[in-house]
Amino acid sequence: MSGSQVSGYSRPDENTLGVILGKRNRAGVPAGSTAGRAMRQASARGGSLGTGYLGVGASVIATVQAIYGLLAFAGHAATYPSLLPVVVAWLLYALTLVGVAVSIAARGERMSNLFFAAFLIMLAGVVALDLVAIWPLHEIGGYATASASAGFGLLAALTLRREWEILVAAIVLGVVLTVAVVMTTPLTAETIPAQLLLVATSVMPALVGLYIVRRFRRIVQLELDRVLVQSTVSAPRFAVGMLASEELARLDLAAEELLDSVAMGRIRLPLTPRTASVAASLATELRLHLIEGRRETWLYHAITESEQLGKSVTLVDRGSLAGLLAPQQRDGLLAAVWLLVNDQKSNPTASLTLGPVTTAPEPGSRTITVPLVITTTAISRNRVDPATWDAIGKVGRFIDSTHNSSLRVEIECRVNNPADQ
Amino acid sequence: MTITSVELIAKERDRLLQRSTRVIGLGSTVIALACFSVPGVLDGTTYLATLPLFVVLAFSLFRLGINQSVVWVCLGMAAGLGILVVVQVPVGDPPGPAIGAALIPLAAGAIGSFAIVLTTAVSRIVILAVGFVVTVVLTELAIPGPFLVSMEGAAVVLGWILATVLGYWLSASIPRAARRIYSIGRAHRAERQASETEAQRRQGARLLHDTVLATLTLLAHSGVGVTVSAMQQQAGEDARLLRQLRLGGTPMPQSSGDYNLEPVEESALGTTLESVKQRFGRMGLEVSWHGTGQVLLPSEVLDAFLLALAECLENVRRHAGVTDAHVTITDDETTVRAMVTDAGVGFDLKDIDEARLGFKDSVVARLRDVGGNARLFSSPGAGTTVVLEVPK
Repeated sequence: MSGSQVSGYSRPDENTLGVILGKRNRAGVPAGSTAGRAMRQASARGGSLGTGYLGVGASVIATVQAIYGLLAFAGHAATYPSLLPVVVAWLLYALTLVGVAVSIAARGERMSNLFFAAFLIMLAGVVALDLVAIWPLHEIGGYATASASAGFGLLAALTLRREWEILVAAIVLGVVLTVAVVMTTPLTAETIPAQLLLVATSVMPALVGLYIVRRFRRIVQLELDRVLVQSTVSAPRFAVGMLASEELARLDLAAEELLDSVAMGRIRLPLTPRTASVAASLATELRLHLIEGRRETWLYHAITESEQLGKSVTLVDRGSLAGLLAPQQRDGLLAAVWLLVNDQKSNPTASLTLGPVTTAPEPGSRTITVPLVITTTAISRNRVDPATWDAIGKVGRFIDSTHNSSLRVEIECRVNNPADQ
Repeated sequence: MTITSVELIAKERDRLLQRSTRVIGLGSTVIALACFSVPGVLDGTTYLATLPLFVVLAFSLFRLGINQSVVWVCLGMAAGLGILVVVQVPVGDPPGPAIGAALIPLAAGAIGSFAIVLTTAVSRIVILAVGFVVTVVLTELAIPGPFLVSMEGAAVVLGWILATVLGYWLSASIPRAARRIYSIGRAHRAERQASETEAQRRQGARLLHDTVLATLTLLAHSGVGVTVSAMQQQAGEDARLLRQLRLGGTPMPQSSGDYNLEPVEESALGTTLESVKQRFGRMGLEVSWHGTGQVLLPSEVLDAFLLALAECLENVRRHAGVTDAHVTITDDETTVRAMVTDAGVGFDLKDIDEARLGFKDSVVARLRDVGGNARLFSSPGAGTTVVLEVPK
């Protein structure tokens, strides 16, 4: 521990009470915080979580379609002026699909730039060979087989490459086939439907695949967010949260190093203004921690740590009453709020107000009643998921009403009287 | 996880299936309508008769995107099959030869897409099978030609197979992902509890007797007003308190509030050992103590001894693959000895670089600084024993 290490202590982006010193991300969680980091890691994991299995499914679909394509090819075999290019095209297509499968099995769920380029070149070769073979027939839509499968072949790379790359490849394929059709096929009432079908089947698999993968990832992210926040349900009455505890350890270590350097004489007394200001900021942050940080509850941490809840839910809980709720009540409340604000289209918001406790506890009763009011915007009564009411029922008896065309729920939560504990 | 979680994830799965059906179905409907609209494919009257059915089909697909009722599936399929029937009604001119190609996006895509939401329950699979058979038969009847199985019919079969595979695969992939998410969630909950306990321990100890803040505040004024030696003494005490806190102890400073200028010469080993035991217990390593409980050691020797001991236990926790370790403390007139043993995997001393275990730096060096020593015994499969010695 040297003086340089001590002066190496730098102010963090935020203190651990969530008081922002730096910028925040859109979720309202400080970017440098534990929660922010966990969220980024979760996002990275969420990006690939389960999509491997989805990618295998896409390859299965491509393979099934290829079997049909081969049957169609066999059906037309007698018509081709020259069979060789189509046969080579099909062999190349099979090689491409097998190559991707082997690469995934051997090297995991990823596709390097080089491999993707080779993949695209091979698919381009498939299309070129097939088109060369059927060019003299002047009926691309009717006879295209391997080139019609190439659009499905792109599905093999669906989960391994960026969206726009797949999209561009699919569009290029569609354009190439359209140009080939226009150059060779006389467009009449007899031929147009088959040509339309060909171009549509070359572009649609990739478009639909991208749509499904995007929605799938969104589901995984939301579920991950919900599950991470769910862990607050078992937190003690007052919690310092994931943000604070690591931060407190860091501050303690910085203070220990500074004090140790002073004790050992590595830092001369009296201190330089620079070192003194480091000591001052450490003292301030530690003090804030030890005093104010103890009034925050699991619900506060759940909302600030969640990407989904952070942007749509506000909490007013001056008495830290949320800490009194039992785990089942917390579970219900969290699920209810989640279900209420989950609708992504209308950007609904919810505001939770706890307390004040006004009703005196009945004599001899060990419980008190905490009033909890959920006011919402952009949530109409009839759009509420039925599971929400079950979830609210777990929190306590409730009355719901419509206020300014949005839902309002008043809940009476019976909780153990903290004075008896 | 809770029942709510299972319900929520099932709901998300259904929604994904419904939205996929809607996208594929509506896309295919548009293409089918475009094919039908090519002049010469269908007689004018027949074409006009299909339009209302197209509207019903599209509306059903749209509703299916937000409503999981099977009613919309049946209505949409009925409308699609209705189109297949209408094109066969002998009114006006017979359909052109291109009708075969024009029926594929309708029968394979628009009607077939309903298969995506029909794989999740037995009753739905029945609807799927009936819809499939009727669609294929009607398509074959609608296509002019002598073949029993036409290429167009094969394309319709393909469309239904692809939709069924897609539906099945999507509904299987959501619970798979969910299981992994829940295991991440469980790990996160454990992490939260550990960090919560740790933070509360730190806060609790500090609120009881915190001189660190007072000392830092003095230092913030450059330490003016206190003699240099007193300041250093106090800073040393506070650094020591924080270090013990970091190592898992619950320190009991000799005074609180005002400044403690008396150096603390000796501390009892026993109470500190108990806190080390608790710390490893929280991390999943059960430590059993044997032998002498109360040994008084000079503070810098105690520090080095505890740090070395904690380091050894940390190695056991990380590398040995067991959940318990034994520490035997013995002492004679001149020396205190700790023997850390585990029944873990062990290793060959020649194979493992001691530096890699952090042994040389963190254990041996620390003990040598205070006149002690450490020795390491291990062989593969026979566990590991470390003997730590410090002078009294």
